[in-house]
Amino acid sequence: MAGFEGFEDRHKEVFREEARELLSELEGSLLELEEDPENTELIERIFRAMHTIKGSGAMAGFDEIVSFTHELETAFDLVRDKKVPVTKELIGITLTSRDILRDMLEGTAGSSAGQAAQEIISNLKHIIPEFPCSGSKKVQPHGINEKALCLPGEEKALTYRIRFRPNQDIFKIGTNPSFLIDELRALGDCMVIAQIDSIPVLSEFDFEACYLYWDFILTTSHGVNAIKDVFIFVENSSELKIEVIDDGLSQSPDYKKIGEILLEKGDVSAEDLRKALRQRRNIGSIMVESGLVEQGKLTSALAEQQYIREKRKQFKEAEAAASVRVPSRKLDVLADLVGELVTLQARLNQFSLTENDSELVAIAEGVERLTDDLRENIMSVRLIPISTVFSKLKRVVRDLSSELGKEIELEIEGGETELDKSLIEKISDPLMHIIRNSIDHGIEPPAGREALGKPRKGTIILHVFHSGASVLIQVRDDGKGLDAEAIRTKAIDKGLIPPGVEIEGKDIYQLIFASGLSTANEVTKISGRGVGMDVVRKNIDALRGTVEVESWKGKGTCVTIRVPLTLAIIDGLLVKIADDHFVIPLSIVEECVELTRSETVGTNSRHIANVRGEIIPYIDLRDIFGIGGTPPEIEQIVITQTDGRKVGFLVDSVVGETQTVIKALGSTFKKVDWISGATILGDGTVALIIAASHIMKLWEEQGAQRTACKAE
Amino acid sequence: MGKTVLIVDDSASMRQIVSFALKDAGFDVIAAVDGKDALEKLNAIKTEMIITDLNMPNLNGIELIKQVRQTTGHKFTPIIMLTTESQESKKVEGRQAGASGWIVKPFTPDQLLGVVKKFIR
Amino acid sequence: MSVPGITHTSQYLTFRLGDEVFALDIIQVREVLDYTTLTKVPCTPDFMCGVINLRGSVVPVVDMRLKFGMPKTEKTVSTCIIIVEIKTGDEHIIIGALADSVQEVIDLDPGGIEPPPRIGNGLKVDFIKGMGKRNEKFLIILDIDRAFSDKELSEMETDFGIGIPSGGAEESGNKKAVHGDLAGQ
Repeated sequence: MAGFEGFEDRHKEVFREEARELLSELEGSLLELEEDPENTELIERIFRAMHTIKGSGAMAGFDEIVSFTHELETAFDLVRDKKVPVTKELIGITLTSRDILRDMLEGTAGSSAGQAAQEIISNLKHIIPEFPCSGSKKVQPHGINEKALCLPGEEKALTYRIRFRPNQDIFKIGTNPSFLIDELRALGDCMVIAQIDSIPVLSEFDFEACYLYWDFILTTSHGVNAIKDVFIFVENSSELKIEVIDDGLSQSPDYKKIGEILLEKGDVSAEDLRKALRQRRNIGSIMVESGLVEQGKLTSALAEQQYIREKRKQFKEAEAAASVRVPSRKLDVLADLVGELVTLQARLNQFSLTENDSELVAIAEGVERLTDDLRENIMSVRLIPISTVFSKLKRVVRDLSSELGKEIELEIEGGETELDKSLIEKISDPLMHIIRNSIDHGIEPPAGREALGKPRKGTIILHVFHSGASVLIQVRDDGKGLDAEAIRTKAIDKGLIPPGVEIEGKDIYQLIFASGLSTANEVTKISGRGVGMDVVRKNIDALRGTVEVESWKGKGTCVTIRVPLTLAIIDGLLVKIADDHFVIPLSIVEECVELTRSETVGTNSRHIANVRGEIIPYIDLRDIFGIGGTPPEIEQIVITQTDGRKVGFLVDSVVGETQTVIKALGSTFKKVDWISGATILGDGTVALIIAASHIMKLWEEQGAQRTACKAE
Repeated sequence: MGKTVLIVDDSASMRQIVSFALKDAGFDVIAAVDGKDALEKLNAIKTEMIITDLNMPNLNGIELIKQVRQTTGHKFTPIIMLTTESQESKKVEGRQAGASGWIVKPFTPDQLLGVVKKFIR
Repeated sequence: MSVPGITHTSQYLTFRLGDEVFALDIIQVREVLDYTTLTKVPCTPDFMCGVINLRGSVVPVVDMRLKFGMPKTEKTVSTCIIIVEIKTGDEHIIIGALADSVQEVIDLDPGGIEPPPRIGNGLKVDFIKGMGKRNEKFLIILDIDRAFSDKELSEMETDFGIGIPSGGAEESGNKKAVHGDLAGQ
């Protein structure tokens, strides 16, 4: 069959001929109407001419004519309904419109016709205040849902249970249900069960009525709208029920019991079902025998059960064939190799630029593209949904809360968020610990909650979502919140903060991650396991992540873990001190500012930078790393933000951004925790990756000691 | 021999478009220019389906549908209305008159056949 | 006279540190590299020269002379890095050892190896497996596992320059003081 284009061409000339006739008829009628403005017959004729031009024009592909005529038609619809009087002005405008339409039709006026049409429309709107503001309504191209005409796409196949019970008069509107059934069957695997229980005895039988109705089990990837489209002309007059009964996700080969199916479909009442179940025999036959359900409905339910079981079996087999099980170790090797490739490719890039050979540059760029794709693919293979650890967490919540006599619900949002496999393994323990903490210390006992006017049941919300190259995991409870005063007292007690030093808001809560700080007065079984929030912090740090806590007294606590999407490759900022290169993870870098020698004069050992009025302490890396030599006249401060605090790192120069393949430093350096790893640069040398938060911590601790020493 | 479809429309180009599309799909097509013409053609030629425009001189589409349903032999004949988006109320009126379905202009041959094949083969 | 644990004729790689000739069981030697650019890991003991890129892996390199209480290695054309695989606990670690020069691979019978002297030339006796003889000269056969399995290597603590002086020698507590200590001079 001809496509739409050919279809249009074939009919364009016929339409032109027709439209010419209609336009001259329009002209005649308009002139007559000027003499006889009340003549409804004439108005009707004008309207019809416009309507035909619009409808047929649309079919023949004259879009400009269609949208313009639509406006005219709207105006004359108002005239026809006597909402707008026929005036000389209106007739004048309409006559001009006719001429414009003719120009459009013949294609003689080019783009000026469109402009003229716009003027007419605004004139019309001017003289007809009632003109609908929406103006040219976009004419929807198709009568029936477009989706129905689409080829089966990527959409997932679902299994639907459909009951179609047509109006008994369906034949009288010229519809044969069997065609509809055929159409439905064409959508996918379909099982049809006719229900005959409504057929009356012969004496009452009307031969023109439809007594049958049907149950369908259909598996299709076309979507529910395609199903509705089958019944589009009868859905108002018929009973049509469409339910998804299998989303293809269930792993279980089993399906609902017969009783459940019948109940779900409303074919039996819950009461009857209970009665039948009590007899402990084949439920279906009992219910048919006792007349609680018709044989046809039972057949339908049995068929559904059989069908779904079969489908699930097929799906499982297909799934097994479509995926390959690979030991994750092999994936790790693959990721390592890709890492090597990225490194090598960086070298190639660098080399190609120094060689100044355009062909070599082109090759290097090609390799870069491929490497990027490869890396992304490998990384995506390693991604698994975080929900894989959730079942464990649910269990913990269930067990712990009942142990502690608390009522707690765990709500999970974003469980489908994907993370690197190795990350998920490592995030599980800290997450577990935070949730334990919420259950143990956060959520109050039910009675206590009621006394506070809170619902008996506490809620812990676990919310996982992507944010840039990071994944955020939030654990939020509606418990009592952290006690800032208790933390402060304890922290002073433990010497974590000097007495008299004011620490505000968030910073106070951050202290719960310091080692040795537990404010729980009684050591419970849960909290007394010897792992504190400092261990959580350490674990998250090891993943190059950050953890923050916010709390509202009496309202709850929210712990936010931020971890990079993948462990193997990060975006880094390459910096230089003397001849040594270091990488600072780009995820924590806020900005870089210059520091000139003269600015540092007088600040003594207190390193403070003034960045647009904000006071930011900075750490001189050359100094603490013991790198000799003289710093350049202008140094750079890389401002970073971790755990909600800003700290700068003073370096000689910033080289630029670099894609960093992280290499473990190995057990030899396992105590050197301010270096989170190493990476290999384009020239083959090694650069160290800075663990900013550790350096800050050590700097502060040793700074405190130093102060103490100097005081001696 | 294919089934016979009657296309009723005062627009020559519409008649041609529908008729070409259906003939391509193997149907026989007869045409009428308005409702009155249609009733005459129905009496003369055995027709399995009617596709009709609504806005026509000399007996409009709705009236045609009402009369067809009263005509012997056409109680169960499928009738499809050709409507435009702005004729939502006509759709309801047509259904009450006994129309089987509708298709909104403009449409492609495939869309037309999709509707036609709900009723006849 | 023999050394327990050495029962077969083995091959040894000999190399020079200063005036002394050392030998390593070839089984533990992975390869020998020319000297390459080292990346210093700040705030680690002086004997830890830094890390190198060994075909994509990051491998620490140790200055053997400092490790054995000799003066620091001065880089010459014959300076090289011997990549060895050592065993500490259950772990196998790859480490580079800086040597002044690599000499040859020789066969030694168990009979030709004597136990380490009780007292000696200033070297820590712990690291010596035995003494071999070659062309009337003594070779020191290293127990490289032991040399590198001490806590010094596997549990290097972090010492920032800003930290308190560990020796207390200089009041500024800068790097030099810290490292002077570790070098054992």
